[in-house]
Amino acid sequence: MEQRLANTWRMTVNEKKFIETALHSDLRIDGRRPFDYRELTVKFGREDGSSEVQLGLTHVMGFVSSQLVQPYRDRPNEGTLSVYTELSPMADPSFEAGRPTESAVELGRVIDRGLRESRAVDTESLCVVSGKFVWSIRIDLHILDNGGNLVDAANIAALAALLTFRRPECSLGGEDGQEVIVHPPEVIDPTHFEEGVMGGRLTATLNANGDVCAIQKAGGDGVMQSVIMQCLRIASVKAADITAKIRKAVDSYNTERALSKIRRQPASVAVQVTEPNQIEVKDFLSKHKEKLMLKSEEGGASHSDDMEIEAQSSEQDKSRRRDSTSKSFVGGPLSWDPYSKGVDFEELQASIASRVKVAPVEKLEKSRSDEPYKGESPKLLADSSTSLLSDEKAATGLQIEKEKTLKDAVKPKHKRKKKASTNTDAS
Amino acid sequence: MEIDRGDGRKPNQLRPVACSRGILNRAHGSASWSQGETKVLAAVYGPKAGTKKNENPEKACFEVIWKPKTGQIGKPEKECEMILKRTLQSICLLNVHPNTTTSIIIQVVNDDGGLLPCAINAACAALVDAGIPLKHLAAAICCSLAKNGRVLLDPNKSEEQNMKGFVYLAFPNSIQSVLPEGSLQVGGEPVEHGIITSVTHGAMSVDDYLLCLQRGRAACEKLSVFIRSSLK
Repeated sequence: MEQRLANTWRMTVNEKKFIETALHSDLRIDGRRPFDYRELTVKFGREDGSSEVQLGLTHVMGFVSSQLVQPYRDRPNEGTLSVYTELSPMADPSFEAGRPTESAVELGRVIDRGLRESRAVDTESLCVVSGKFVWSIRIDLHILDNGGNLVDAANIAALAALLTFRRPECSLGGEDGQEVIVHPPEVIDPTHFEEGVMGGRLTATLNANGDVCAIQKAGGDGVMQSVIMQCLRIASVKAADITAKIRKAVDSYNTERALSKIRRQPASVAVQVTEPNQIEVKDFLSKHKEKLMLKSEEGGASHSDDMEIEAQSSEQDKSRRRDSTSKSFVGGPLSWDPYSKGVDFEELQASIASRVKVAPVEKLEKSRSDEPYKGESPKLLADSSTSLLSDEKAATGLQIEKEKTLKDAVKPKHKRKKKASTNTDAS
Repeated sequence: MEIDRGDGRKPNQLRPVACSRGILNRAHGSASWSQGETKVLAAVYGPKAGTKKNENPEKACFEVIWKPKTGQIGKPEKECEMILKRTLQSICLLNVHPNTTTSIIIQVVNDDGGLLPCAINAACAALVDAGIPLKHLAAAICCSLAKNGRVLLDPNKSEEQNMKGFVYLAFPNSIQSVLPEGSLQVGGEPVEHGIITSVTHGAMSVDDYLLCLQRGRAACEKLSVFIRSSLK
């Protein structure tokens, strides 16, 4: 144990003085201005839910996995989200394997709180069978290299991994949080040298709308209120910036992934075609990448309080869902457009909690869903008793026979289309 | 009789191998090794002062930490740590830095079969990157025995699960030496035929095992050529 302490990295007095004096004249040792972020790169691994983030010299990997568990008794409809951060000894010689140090615990808690409070993951949509089975999402963050500002890098890694994670039934939407680490004189995104010098640290988690989700300031020097307000203002700017970067990376990854999965579409796909939707298809084809501010009928019909909470991402998500539901009506012209598959995958990032009635058993199955779950869905549908679902049951009964003849890729479109039509009927 | 492997490889064909060094900044040595889809990241810190308790202070000590991709650290990880530690202890020169500890941290990035050999290779590359003195490198390979008796090299995860048994083998790197031929022989066989590590899963007959050894050795020779060229 003593040997470990003897090996920890200590800063010399010279280094400390140098950094402090430089900061007083707004100079940082790597040439950045006080409020500049280091270069951020987000990369994705081969499977869903794995991301690798590099923020300057800091290197963090995130993995998301899911498991079916029993829910808590007082929350039978909600799934769980847990964040595990591991300060691997790889990152820094002073990190030890085994028992996490208090900074590791703090890091984990800050990220956990940020994701939870901002409702980045809609826990209600993680419910499979109310009271019996819910999905438990586990995020593992591995810190590979400590170059300073672990909180930000780890948060971005967690978000990127969540955004690309696909459960067998449904995928997750993401809010974007942004954290600012400052120390007097205020500086953002410190390197580990600056971290060794800093007197205090303030971490603010904001979402893309500028709402503050969490603030953490654990000890350290006291700061004036005006300083805190200034930090929050800076943070909101950076939040938008970083959110855009993450989204761009996720989008390009998704289209890449979708392009590699183009399957042949059969000639006639549509079982039911409704006229009004067809007209809008062409518009969506050209604009599917932009944010469309639409009010869809589905949203109006089954609006729930969950919608308010996710107001930030819901508009975009609803519009995207609309994209794919209308797309699915037209089999022919879409079959050759590579982007159609891309948006389908993205569309499923929408949280399905807006359809509360249907939520517990709604299966937005993707073409990559596992075989056992396909078998499960008719069973679960049979379990439910709402009138809405009995319609669906009949419909899916038809579809199941179809599934055997049509390719997998077609099935999700059928399901979504059925739900859209039944929902519009209901509303 | 040709066996149809899932990805179209021949029975003696390895997956594409990629190795890169020096990827982490804080670690003294780091390397990443991927065979097909299996990818492992290794980092080396050391030597640090002092050895652990119960370790011989006359020799250098190694400490291996194995980090799985997800999940808690359990017995399988501890077993891998131990195997890796013993393997590395046998290839390093232990008397150069007595009373020190060198830490090797392995992070599993993706597991698609053949994880332990991949980790051994990555650890060796990281040790080279850190400049730790070694006798020779270890080249590791996985050989599996199919149900109909054929030996397949470097199976991926789905193949591994369908095999009758498989064995992880580590051989020393083939040696290019300035010494004259013959001085590197141990008991009549060249040094590179010695096995450093062998871990078997599943049951196989002795003949099958010896067949696997032969194939593994040949494959490791090819692998050591690759290692030598990529670690220059």
